[in-house]
Amino acid sequence: MVTFGSMSFLGDPLFNILGPIAGDTESPESLKIIEAAKAEYHLDKSVPEQWGRWAWDFVRGDFGVQFSTTGQPPVSDLIKERLPRTLELMFIAQLFALGLAIPWAVTSAARANSRIDKGLTMTSFAAISLPSFATAVLLYYVFSVKLDWLPDTYNAIDPFWGFSHDHRLIQLILPALTLGIGAAAQYARLLRTDMITTLREDFILMAKSKGVPRKRVLYIHALRSSLFSLITLLAINVGFMIGGSIVVESFFRIPGIGLAIIEAVLRDDFPVVLAIVMLVSCGFMVLNYLADILYSVLDPRIRNTEQGQQKKVTIL
Amino acid sequence: MSPMTKTDSAILEVENYKVGFRTERGLAKAVNGVSFSLEKGKTIAIVGESGSGKTVLNRGLMGLLTDSNTIEEGSAKFMGEEIAGLSRQRFWGTNIAMIFQDPMSSLNPVMKVGKQVAEPLVLHQGLTKKESKKEVINLFKLVGIPDPEKRFSEYPHQLSGGMRQRVMISIALAIKPDLLIADEPTTALDVTVQKYILDLLQELQDERKMSVILITHDLGVARGRADEILVMYGGKVMEHAPSEKIFTEMSHPYTEALTAAIPRLKDPKHTRLIPIPGSPPDLVHPPVGCKFAPRCVYAQENCINEEPAVTVKGRHSYSCFYPVGTEKNKDAYQKNAAQGHTAAGLKISRRRVLK
Repeated sequence: MVTFGSMSFLGDPLFNILGPIAGDTESPESLKIIEAAKAEYHLDKSVPEQWGRWAWDFVRGDFGVQFSTTGQPPVSDLIKERLPRTLELMFIAQLFALGLAIPWAVTSAARANSRIDKGLTMTSFAAISLPSFATAVLLYYVFSVKLDWLPDTYNAIDPFWGFSHDHRLIQLILPALTLGIGAAAQYARLLRTDMITTLREDFILMAKSKGVPRKRVLYIHALRSSLFSLITLLAINVGFMIGGSIVVESFFRIPGIGLAIIEAVLRDDFPVVLAIVMLVSCGFMVLNYLADILYSVLDPRIRNTEQGQQKKVTIL
Repeated sequence: MSPMTKTDSAILEVENYKVGFRTERGLAKAVNGVSFSLEKGKTIAIVGESGSGKTVLNRGLMGLLTDSNTIEEGSAKFMGEEIAGLSRQRFWGTNIAMIFQDPMSSLNPVMKVGKQVAEPLVLHQGLTKKESKKEVINLFKLVGIPDPEKRFSEYPHQLSGGMRQRVMISIALAIKPDLLIADEPTTALDVTVQKYILDLLQELQDERKMSVILITHDLGVARGRADEILVMYGGKVMEHAPSEKIFTEMSHPYTEALTAAIPRLKDPKHTRLIPIPGSPPDLVHPPVGCKFAPRCVYAQENCINEEPAVTVKGRHSYSCFYPVGTEKNKDAYQKNAAQGHTAAGLKISRRRVLK
């Protein structure tokens, strides 16, 4: 709703639909066309009514049409094309982030306050402080320009799997790393703190005294009970990553949702911006709900209180 | 130093063992030269109040204090092999087992209890999942856990304190250890469950010929179950004797003070218990002389300035200039009572008169 309100103050979408005629308010002919276009897109209605119509259509899965001079393709076509690429990118970025953060945090926590730990903490500060456009430039310069290990262009048509230099997974490494490194550093710092707390627990001593090997103590006994805050952060971070993907996608020219939203904002394409913002918000809520479910999978104590509550309900 | 005659059957021989922690204020000497030896199938009780170093002593011996700020010195021989300062990982889960004080925090809250008991069996005895489950159910029956099949797949929070401690005991017993270290196994439990757990431990010990180190702050618990009692204070051994001798020929004022602080059934109603004044010593800057002197009602000048040597009388040893029950002790008390305070400045009020 906030997006809708702010959009209605900015620019006149008629320019996009009609081209230069929209600016010509002198001649009666062009005025007629303008009135007709306004009626067709319901732009003559009040802002609340516009919002109401749009929201109702959105719920029914109709995201409206794009405002553009080259015909009015439905917004859903654009999203269908762009969203999977961004999801792919974010998924790989999260995998990178977790893949880096977990061993990083565990090593740090296992030797808390050692030199390794301090080094890793410093590195994570650096990684958090680095803005994503700087990371992007840095990674691009080192791995693509200097070393020429990784391709600098993104080509959505290439196959996802395979080992050619140009296939999509390889192309996604740099963008995903850019997104993932900052997240990894955040995850690692949070997980390190939680792990240190868990490692002080008696049950860790107990596990050691049972003769459980060190690695197993760390990764099986300590990690699982330290994951809770990480899951919360993970769910929140997906939202931030969409923001980050705007930068990363424009830098690496990945035609994903981030690039789409920039393009749409620049040409006052309200329906596209609205649909994307709405979808991202919904996705964010769903993820947070999933995180809550994941808690109960990880922690039997939470599972049980839920069962207990259900039992109470049936008794009542 | 140890008054015990060393025999070949000694499973653990500890000689001048020390554990220190580097802190910001300096080195905290948590265990400051402890010696004892434990024979196969016997029980030694280590008694002392919180902060006396008894838990650190045992975690140290077990090799669980691996922090880089921990320093271990002296000698500890397990089955004839020097272990102090070395990794003891190979004994964990095979020869030495430990029962911790708090069964709630010592079990992994997100792992099924059956799995926690089975873990060492799978890891060290090469049992398959199925075999280990059968073994765990047998162990559960042995320690008196009802409905063992159902309990196997429950989580710690679903069990009562007593049940959890039984699970802990079955973990410790799963590996058939030579040495069991029980760190206040019943402190967190109900009095009614305490006796059951202690009896169970003793029964299993007799059956398996295990050696047990029983750590407790309760002399009463130690009395009936241990062969020997070691009284610790401020990281040092105050008195060490066969179990009954501690009570019949009590020599150290600290042992006496500990006994006086325990309620007894045969006491008349409303008998006032005698607390030990003050608190355990600062381990970074411990008293120069006897560690207990600042809190001792018999303390004299030399107690504060010199550390008393160990007096050995057969199997009984203690470190005190004015041992309880001697003329010297009575004179020391008379002198302090007349002054109204001890040499260390502790006030002696009428209410605290011990005899």
